[in-house]
Amino acid sequence: MQQGSLPLRTRVRSTAYLFVICLLVWLGLTSSLQPQEVLVGVGISVVLPLWLGPHYSQLGLPALGLKRLLFFFIYLLVLGFEVVTANLDVAYRVLHPAMPIRPGVVVIRTHLTSDIARMVLANSITLTPGTFTLDVVGDRLLIHWINVRTEDLAEASRLIGERFERYLRVIFE
Amino acid sequence: MRRALSLIVLLVLAVGLASALRGPSVGAEARRASLIDDDEVNFGRRYNSRAVEETGASNVVASVLVTYRGLDTLGEVTVLFVAATGLAALLHTGRRRRSEREATPASLIVFTGCRFLFPLILLFGAYIFAHGHLTPGGGFQGGAIIASGFLLIYLGCRGRQPESKRLSAVESLAGLAFVLIGLIGLAVGGSFLLNFLPEGSPYALLSAGIIPVVYVFIGFKVGSELGGIVGDLSGAR
Repeated sequence: MQQGSLPLRTRVRSTAYLFVICLLVWLGLTSSLQPQEVLVGVGISVVLPLWLGPHYSQLGLPALGLKRLLFFFIYLLVLGFEVVTANLDVAYRVLHPAMPIRPGVVVIRTHLTSDIARMVLANSITLTPGTFTLDVVGDRLLIHWINVRTEDLAEASRLIGERFERYLRVIFE
Repeated sequence: MRRALSLIVLLVLAVGLASALRGPSVGAEARRASLIDDDEVNFGRRYNSRAVEETGASNVVASVLVTYRGLDTLGEVTVLFVAATGLAALLHTGRRRRSEREATPASLIVFTGCRFLFPLILLFGAYIFAHGHLTPGGGFQGGAIIASGFLLIYLGCRGRQPESKRLSAVESLAGLAFVLIGLIGLAVGGSFLLNFLPEGSPYALLSAGIIPVVYVFIGFKVGSELGGIVGDLSGAR
């Protein structure tokens, strides 16, 4: 854990991030705006980031901006849409008498660089039925695919990763 | 001599068991029936009807655990402490395998996810033990959630395990604080673990006197203790 090697700005930013996330989670858990609850929540949300903020700075969280926030919400919608359509696709394959599946493992490439962005991409792919991220090694993702349409690296990256990645690039890079 | 002694012990045990199994006499049965309506004897009813006004805690289970039966809870905490100590002693007698075993690093997904989630798990545990007097939950449950956060660290973030010394320090200080609160009650009002803080208004976070305070310390103690146990079992310490 080399805390000293990270620039101060990154550490301050990630501590602030953690503060905001903790406070939001606390308000969600208590679902009350009583002064006592909020005060205790703020207290805990200050103490936790001061202790664990340096760990957060290694995630590679970007600076917060209006465009990023907007794209994040768009991304949630896109992800929801992809999950629903992929669900229907898998249901079709399961119910079809001939069961048209072609399972296999393919490798795709990502252009995302930060850890958190790659994790979000991998988890989005996993969340979408039919594709499952087995591992992430460097800029390669190992994907189990229920219906392998291509084994070509570029083509598979376009089919599986690109639909999420174009939003994630705006959010995280 | 030993044979005679063991015979005597057996005899005492047999008499005791027999008198316990014989059941109450007819008179005692009637006496119990009259007493069952009495709140001083029927504790369950007493706690249910009067706990909220007596302790200010809207969660009756918490008021029983921390005030009415606070001493038992201190005993429970001690049992957990002894178990953790015994486990540590058992596991530390063997040779150190940590340096020999090269741990495979976890996948980026687990590694990043656990770094992202660990503070939030701690927050959730803190929420559970801070609200023990209001909602189901309390120090033990919150502590167990915090320990699950440590488990995640041991699984996902090899090489950045929490230091066992710091965990032990937190655990000892929290246990000490629990006993100190009890002693303050003894000094102020003459009984151990007396609820000496104001009760406040029900359903507020800062109410029910010492219950939330004690639960916070129990949460810290159980969390660090179970975290240490998880560390011991994973061979990281």
